[in-house]
Amino acid sequence: MTTTWIIVDEPGVAGLLDTARNLGRPTAAVVVGPHELAASTATAGVDRCLWLGETGDAPVEAFATAVAAVVADGAPGVVLAAARPSARALVGAVAATLRAPAMVGAVGVETDGDTVLVEREVLGGIARRTERCDGPVCLVVDGGGVPEPGAAVPVEEVTAEALAVRVVENRPSSAPQVDLAGARRVVAVGRGLKAKEDLALVDRLAEAMGAAVACSRPVAEGSGFLPKDRYVGVSGRTLTPDVYLALGISGQVQHTVGIRGAGTIVAVNTDADAPFMKECDYAVVGDLYTFVPALAAALQS
Amino acid sequence: MTVVVAHKWAPNPQEATVAPGGTVDLSRAKPAVSEYDPVAIEVGRRLADAWGCELVGVSVGGPEIAAPMARKAALSRGLDRLVVVADERLSGAGATPTAVALAQAVGEVEDVRVVLAGDSSVDEGAHLVPSVLAGLLGWPSLAEVADVTADGGALVVERAQGSGSQVVRVDGPAVLAVAADAAVPRVAGMKDILAAGKKPVVELPLAGELPAQPEVVGRAPVPLAERGRRRIDTTDPDAAARELVAALRADGVL
Ligand SMILES: Cc1cc2nc3c(=O)[nH]c(=O)nc-3n(C[C@H](O)[C@H](O)[C@H](O)COP(=O)(O)OP(=O)(O)OC[C@H]3O[C@@H](n4cnc5c(N)ncnc54)[C@H](O)[C@@H]3O)c2cc1C
Repeated sequence: MTTTWIIVDEPGVAGLLDTARNLGRPTAAVVVGPHELAASTATAGVDRCLWLGETGDAPVEAFATAVAAVVADGAPGVVLAAARPSARALVGAVAATLRAPAMVGAVGVETDGDTVLVEREVLGGIARRTERCDGPVCLVVDGGGVPEPGAAVPVEEVTAEALAVRVVENRPSSAPQVDLAGARRVVAVGRGLKAKEDLALVDRLAEAMGAAVACSRPVAEGSGFLPKDRYVGVSGRTLTPDVYLALGISGQVQHTVGIRGAGTIVAVNTDADAPFMKECDYAVVGDLYTFVPALAAALQS
Repeated sequence: MTVVVAHKWAPNPQEATVAPGGTVDLSRAKPAVSEYDPVAIEVGRRLADAWGCELVGVSVGGPEIAAPMARKAALSRGLDRLVVVADERLSGAGATPTAVALAQAVGEVEDVRVVLAGDSSVDEGAHLVPSVLAGLLGWPSLAEVADVTADGGALVVERAQGSGSQVVRVDGPAVLAVAADAAVPRVAGMKDILAAGKKPVVELPLAGELPAQPEVVGRAPVPLAERGRRRIDTTDPDAAARELVAALRADGVL
């Protein structure tokens, strides 16, 4: 019987474990990171926990070939990795070694003998497709939170050789950390916002609403008004707040896939034909610069 | 020494139509150099100029990628020459077969110092091809790269890490996926497009077997929540704001 492999490079792997458990196969984790990460993974409900040893000054990506060798040696069926750059570097090497398909967007996975059936969203989330793979398959899915600890299996240390990459310097961000995932209300801004100073307007509304502030990708990458961990969409965050208020965001599919699970969606846009106007509960046609202060005032009264 | 940029000729799914059964029709979505790939070409151009070396584009895909329009679109953005693998079997191919063909194309280029790629493709958007390619080449891969410089024989790479950044040193070649905002790509002018027609293009036949592709056994539309799309007019912004607040309170989300 094949083994379901989980690639662990950070604590947030509960999503991978859920998918793995549903497959009902033996599960094994390969851990790249400090010993404490391996120790916590060993209590996460896996059957085996393999650890590549301390990484020293090598980044996670340096262990891509080592991870691929471990997985290839372990009767892989489904191989799971989280949607993070470092985890993708590892699973990419696994796919290369196994010459196996590597896919994103899975919403359902089933196995039947060596056959794996994957239902997934394709082309940035515009449609679904079910695909049959006769052999191993690598899936990148939402990593999710930190798994609940349970009974431990032993941590098996494997000697691994790192590729020639070393971290020279860390430059942590000074931007305040915002708990977007846990926010029940989110106000998001797009390119309809003209200047960074105008964020003050949005912040006042967010405060009146008790909401966290998120954005579309170009606002984080390009204009750089907000940090990169605040943008929503296929390459960014997936959020499920009770209410999502989109200000000056056109609503291209790469953005809207990130908030499909939101409760109520409000789109504020000068363009009545913007795509977001078709994917919302309330379509406010108008200028955010006049509507936002009015809304903040209405919330306070 | 050579700088290689992998890029894709792809349609934008925003222009696709999806039939009720989930079948995607991309015929009205015009293909182009994938949204973020010009950023990688721009970063590559600057590196190649700084190092005084050649910038070679590699692209793999269906037969349409070898058409003059596709070649010129990429070459006019600053490549010195192009290597393409155009084959029916690569039409709509997944990350692994695409990377296998790219590895073949990269293998034809001499003395490759670095392979650059865009953040992710406009159609698949999987963020996976660079790391599978790196796996095939046995090189490290790094993503969300903001800057690359050389230090002797090593590459010094600045990349995003969490909400901050990190500087990494790579001894030897690497595959780097550049961040969407790593550079502002140039806009090709008439002169660039004319010059592009004269730049060398090598078309390689696909060598060897491609890895097996999954078989599509079902299609479906995305089950989207029914949304009310209630129109709120803002001729009077205060009245509009009160209307929205009342509606959200009634929905119980405020
Ligand atoms: C591979 C790939 C991945 C991507 N991933 C993501 C992702 O994860 N997340 C993401 O967000 N994007 C992503 N994108 C980009 C996406 O395709 C869109 O380009 C982006 O979401 C557009 O951002 P925007 O709506 O802020 O800007 P625009 O599309 O420029 O829209 C601005 C909107 O503001 C409106 N507006 C202007 N002025 C005002 C005003 N005063 N008041 C009210 N409205 C106003 C305009 O009518 C317009 O609708 C991705 C793209 C690609 C190719």
